[in-house]
Amino acid sequence: MNILMNTFSMAFKNLRKNLSFYSLYLVSTAFVITVFFTFTSFSVNKIMLEKISVDGRVETMCNTISVFLIIFVVFYMSYSNRFFLRRRIKELGIYALLGYRKSAILSLLAFENILVCSGAYILGILAGGFAHKGIVSLISRLLRLGIDNSEILFWDLAAVSKTALFVCAVVFVLIFSNGHFLKKTPLMNLVRFEKSAEKKMKFHKLPALLGFIMILGGYILALDILHGGSSVWIKAGFYQTGFAAMLLIVCGTTLFIASCLPYIMEQSKKQRRKFYTDVKIITTPNFIYRIRSNARTLIMLTLLSAAALTVSGVMALTLYYPIAAMSRIAPSEIEFRIEDSRQTDEVKQILKKHISDTRGVTLIRTDIYKVTSDSENLPPEYNAGTLGNGENNEDILREAGFECIPHSQYTRLLEVLGKQSVSGQAGSLSDNECILIKYLPDADSKSEQGNRYVLQSGNTKKTVTVKAVSMDNAISFANSIGTLVLSDSLYAEISQNQVPSASIVSLNGKALEDNEELYQALSEYLKGSPYLQGHSHRINELLYMNSSTFLLIGFLVILFFIAVGSILYFNNISAVMDSRADYEILWKIGYGEKRLKQIIRKQVRTFFCIPFVLGFLDCIFAAIVYKTGLMQNILGSSLRQYVPVMIAVSLAAIIYAVYYFLTVRACYKTVFPAF
Amino acid sequence: MRTILKANHVTKIYGKRQDPSLRNVSFKAAEGEFIGIMGASGSGKTTLLNILSTIDTPTSGEVWIHDISLRSLSSSGAADFRRDNLGFIFQEYFLLDSLTVFENIAVPLTLQRETPENIEKRIRDLAERFGIASQLNKYPGELSGGQRQRASAARAIVKKPEILFADEPTGALDSSSAAELLNALHEANTDLHTTILMVTHDAYAASFADRIFIFQDGCIIRELQKERASRRSFYELIVEETAKLDTDR
Repeated sequence: MNILMNTFSMAFKNLRKNLSFYSLYLVSTAFVITVFFTFTSFSVNKIMLEKISVDGRVETMCNTISVFLIIFVVFYMSYSNRFFLRRRIKELGIYALLGYRKSAILSLLAFENILVCSGAYILGILAGGFAHKGIVSLISRLLRLGIDNSEILFWDLAAVSKTALFVCAVVFVLIFSNGHFLKKTPLMNLVRFEKSAEKKMKFHKLPALLGFIMILGGYILALDILHGGSSVWIKAGFYQTGFAAMLLIVCGTTLFIASCLPYIMEQSKKQRRKFYTDVKIITTPNFIYRIRSNARTLIMLTLLSAAALTVSGVMALTLYYPIAAMSRIAPSEIEFRIEDSRQTDEVKQILKKHISDTRGVTLIRTDIYKVTSDSENLPPEYNAGTLGNGENNEDILREAGFECIPHSQYTRLLEVLGKQSVSGQAGSLSDNECILIKYLPDADSKSEQGNRYVLQSGNTKKTVTVKAVSMDNAISFANSIGTLVLSDSLYAEISQNQVPSASIVSLNGKALEDNEELYQALSEYLKGSPYLQGHSHRINELLYMNSSTFLLIGFLVILFFIAVGSILYFNNISAVMDSRADYEILWKIGYGEKRLKQIIRKQVRTFFCIPFVLGFLDCIFAAIVYKTGLMQNILGSSLRQYVPVMIAVSLAAIIYAVYYFLTVRACYKTVFPAF
Repeated sequence: MRTILKANHVTKIYGKRQDPSLRNVSFKAAEGEFIGIMGASGSGKTTLLNILSTIDTPTSGEVWIHDISLRSLSSSGAADFRRDNLGFIFQEYFLLDSLTVFENIAVPLTLQRETPENIEKRIRDLAERFGIASQLNKYPGELSGGQRQRASAARAIVKKPEILFADEPTGALDSSSAAELLNALHEANTDLHTTILMVTHDAYAASFADRIFIFQDGCIIRELQKERASRRSFYELIVEETAKLDTDR
């Protein structure tokens, strides 16, 4: 008992006297506990879950994420614990020389861990309470959940006790890990712990080349998806090819980091003019030295970074794309079909009831006339929606044909939709010309432009040539597919022979945006018609349905980035601490502070760049595969669609940049007090 | 001969300690001279070496090298000055573990922006002279202590410094390795006219010097001149003087 008390008091004194050394450990531990407590509070917050979880999906996701979170916290704390243990090996060696048994040293370390984790627990709970309240308030405001913020507790007892239990479990893991380390480390290694002696190592050309080829092969395989029907992804199967591409990239990344990069650096030494410079002669061999002992960590960080970047990029694309596609799926703020003119007047009454100021609101009625054609090379839109699969023939919603609208109405609609530039490009149409509105862009770059179609309406036959093919539909796909824009006079001629197949009312204007009450009133009036389409309504619906999923995945992704950044931080500081004496020698030889800082920056930058650049490339190729293979190509192929991926990558880059600057600053602080 | 280094009333006090590490030390060193600095531990030898080599600054007094006052140098100016004029050998070798022996020796030359051809030629010549030509592609961890110290000396000499500071260079070597290193330093001193200031405890190492300062409590208490004496008789004189010093204490 007395021995334990002595060890405890020694641990306490150690912490007090080396506060600056332990503060980094304390802060990093407090940080992960804050993250854990915030998430646990969120997952036990019944008020919040009731609002965002309708089918138990959020609870399932919370449970899945908590598994990742537990793995992350245990891994992170083991890593930082091992980092601090390495810094103290000489001190432990002295204890051993003084006659301390390994069990006594282990108790000392255990007490220190208990004290640090207890402190970090208190800090984590305090900070986590505020973080939880802030996040709930932010989500409530973003999703308009109407949660009374005063109802949200800062510290939920269930979350506090769950976190306490978890911290206890982590302390046990750390004690076990330290015990294992002390057991397998002989006294000699504790006493004479130095940098392991450097030996000449050969990097072979074959694995280096194989690493490069495998990564390149993976990327080429990913890009093959752009070949459409002839692609391996279609022929061999999407998931099989995806697995093969992933395997190539993972194995390639492993070989690339472990063999190819050091091989390239080794070869770069042969370029004497570049190598014999004051900075390169230090940084190139140092890189080769570090990659030898850190290849595994770097591979793990690269794969983690690639996964986090890919998930965030794909998530951004999944969130953005359906919203952007609404400009085609439901271009007008509100659109529906009417049966007669009386309905238009009644809709106007509903509008007046729900909008205080109707100025700026436009109501455009478009009559659609259906024509048939037996020409060759008809576009796929002509038959869209007509293919039943045998038993479900009664579900056929549409008869094959072109749906004709007049050119003047088309340009007017484009104008109220704010697509003035497109309406200008549409130009004028003669009676034997038309504009074909496409549902999906043509595969294999074939275009219908110049095609001639014979339009049949009753007994009248008219031949028109496709003057232009456009993706700018002015009417929603629920109301018209295979739209053909005709000249006003040809449209008038066709309309004389038949009744319109549908009359569409398009409502637009600022006052209609996000007006859910109006949308509900119209939905009631139209008895839940499937032809009622609302632009803002659909976007809000998408946001509401997916936001909790994105929020939780976003949480996990940020956690991954923080894990990568923190491990890089500790890894770099550890490397700089190990080579502090080297910097002192360089300083004595005549390297000024500016040049030494340049060397530190370059070394840290290289280790930050490898996971980020490789992860970034993986993310780009994965996004291409995801978008091409798993998303409908409603918006066509434009690089603009990858902007959300770039935004997600930029956010990750900001997190990395913050970590980079913190790491460089910490490295300067480590190196410069030495002389 | 021309004076290359002049120390004038150099005093060093660390912190608020009352006892100075160096007290009013003054001396001159001529170009091409080999000076040994001896004394008991804590007598101020290494402090003096650090001040003379711009690594530390004196509390009072002045040091000139080539009529340049070291006090007038900024931190980056001092780094440039070390790069252009000074070389160092330390007891612990202080080679960079991740660089090969060749790369270690090349470091000071890259700082001076020498051409690759010149770097390679100078290193190969010097490696022959120091007997480490076959070790150039090895890492320091693969060498013996003596080879490491010779590599460290080669790194210090390769840039042809005007003054070479050596702090206990034979302290961690066996007698044969120490002799090899001292011979190499002696050659550099005679052939290249490098001025050497060497701190040592070892009378045999000190016997390679032309002049010896014996330190006690931060002061030079004796100065021994070799003049025309043989190395053996100079060695005996040093042993005698240091023995006297031990008896006095």
